[in-house]
Amino acid sequence: MKLQMTLNGKPVSCDVDSCARLIDLLRDDLDAKSVKEGCGEGECGACTVLLDGEPVNACLVLAAQVDGSRVTTVEGLSRDGELHPVQRAFAETGAVQCGFCTPGFIMATVALLDRTPRPNDREIRDALAGHLCRCTGYRKIMDAVRRAAELTASPSAGAPGQ
Amino acid sequence: MNYVRPSTTADLLSALQEDGAAILCGGTDILIRMRRGLLSPRTLVDVSRLEDLRGIEAVDGEIHIGAAVNENTILRSPLVAERLPLLADVLKRLAAVEIRSRGSLGGNLVNASPAADSAIPLLLYEARLHLVGATGERWVPVREFFVGPGKTVLAKGEFVRAIAVPDPPAGARAFFHKIGRRRALIISIASLGVLMRLAGESVDLVRIAAGSVAPTPLRLDEAERVLLGERLDDGRIREAARAAARSVSPIDDVRATAGYRRQVVADLLERFLRQARNDET
Repeated sequence: MKLQMTLNGKPVSCDVDSCARLIDLLRDDLDAKSVKEGCGEGECGACTVLLDGEPVNACLVLAAQVDGSRVTTVEGLSRDGELHPVQRAFAETGAVQCGFCTPGFIMATVALLDRTPRPNDREIRDALAGHLCRCTGYRKIMDAVRRAAELTASPSAGAPGQ
Repeated sequence: MNYVRPSTTADLLSALQEDGAAILCGGTDILIRMRRGLLSPRTLVDVSRLEDLRGIEAVDGEIHIGAAVNENTILRSPLVAERLPLLADVLKRLAAVEIRSRGSLGGNLVNASPAADSAIPLLLYEARLHLVGATGERWVPVREFFVGPGKTVLAKGEFVRAIAVPDPPAGARAFFHKIGRRRALIISIASLGVLMRLAGESVDLVRIAAGSVAPTPLRLDEAERVLLGERLDDGRIREAARAAARSVSPIDDVRATAGYRRQVVADLLERFLRQARNDET
């Protein structure tokens, strides 16, 4: 079936199988490889994207359901070759090890800061509760989100290394 | 498999007449079951954008929540936050924000999981479900909606349009706790909710509901009868806890044993009742 959507600010039309999930459409047809398939059951958060501004697991949305919607992935975050403040924060704080879970964490953080620009630790933990990192742990990821909130609030104050 | 997205209730009703038609809303449950091969509908009928199943509004002392409204939208509703705080509290702990962006209250109820946390506040608030089918519509109290694990009173071709939740009785206090392996996003081992009001020292109103301890979420009538109109002394509290443990029928499964679940129900009830009594004095 035919569908139209806006992916990372650009209108796209595609022909999808009615069984295809949003993650299949994004990775296989639209080359948005930042979207990772971990569990395929909404437990790990690695495939998180924004659907009309809301974070969703792309493995639990049928592609056909996004007809007419806006989808944002990590590919759509940087502007003019500059990393998005959330991407910068993850890089600066070393919140990345193997990197598989990182796109999901980044999209969840973008969604969090969009509604809650100055989140407390409880709000950060709630926003990340649907994400698993199997390399190391969550301390640096918490640091990254706090840093992202600072950078978003005043990008100019964000000299690398804090 | 086919996918259709009806744009009117009439189109939805006719789509549901087809053999092998299944309703798709947020997809957070049905898509997993389809992938696991547990379900293979011939047609998925997407109701997630159907206007008639959306919206949250106050109607004559009730809040009407469209069955397809997603859980984040319910959580952000000032009406729900102000008038149905227990529902908001439970939905917040139900799942990750990514699941709540998609999952609907109607979908959670229709799945009829014995562990459906959202059923507990609705049982306590004595909510009703608005069911619409080809031959007409009806209102069903939530306590009559569940028949067994995964089974409801929904007839073939019938769907849940909305959930009507009456304002809680004035002055009543609500308690809810779920026991799981960890705090976040976990299927309950057992959950218990209590809505109660004391007049002086005696129990003026009491409703008790439990999840994951029987084939369906349920009200614990016997424990309620033990308490209603009585003073909350230690003996009465223990008797109510024993009645609660008697009226559940839990099973052993991968998450916990039946005996543990029974004990948890009794202990949680005892804890809430003591808390209610102590807060009063």
